[in-house]
Amino acid sequence: MPYREKLAWLSLVAMAVTYGPYFTLAALAPPTTALPDLSRLGVFAATSLSHMVIIMVGRLYFMARSPEDARAPADERDLAIERRSKTTAYYLLMAGMILVGVVMPFTAGGWIIVNAALATIVGVEILRDGLIVLGYRRGVA
Amino acid sequence: MSPGTITNQIRTLRFLHGEMSQAELGQRIGLTRQTVAAIEAGKYSPSLEAAFRIAEVFGKPLDQVFQWVKSA
Repeated sequence: MPYREKLAWLSLVAMAVTYGPYFTLAALAPPTTALPDLSRLGVFAATSLSHMVIIMVGRLYFMARSPEDARAPADERDLAIERRSKTTAYYLLMAGMILVGVVMPFTAGGWIIVNAALATIVGVEILRDGLIVLGYRRGVA
Repeated sequence: MSPGTITNQIRTLRFLHGEMSQAELGQRIGLTRQTVAAIEAGKYSPSLEAAFRIAEVFGKPLDQVFQWVKSA
């Protein structure tokens, strides 16, 4: 498996095990207090920190397992896959930001907007990583 | 625009060059082993520059390494 595909899988798994529970909690037990809700901010901080730790540990593991692949610069196929993934993910980012920044201030407030913005960013990352995996699996013409 | 696919003879040419590995070919043209494997399998069409570099490694003209096959 290409090194950069492994990193994309790592990012997907990290998102699933950290932001998955966070957004499940946000959906099942939405914060009721106004911003700032320190306990909910604490949950978010723990989520972000654990995401960061998983990514760092995973990258160190992959670097130790295949140091040559880790050192190798991205070649033209890596860059083509990255470029296509980013281009597609950009449209989701734009749509999400318009929804969160232009529409939602008139219909919602506080934590709903905050979590919608976070969900957009996480969704964009998941889409980008998913497209990278697909690019390596199915090929780029 | 007529549809078609790009085929290649890289696997054969590697064999004819002392069973050159994908990693060695990749190293000589600045691509990863996985990208060489993807090119061989037809899952990635290389840039014109990479195609010329591959042909240069085998000492063949480009059209003896890559072919355009029109779909029926």
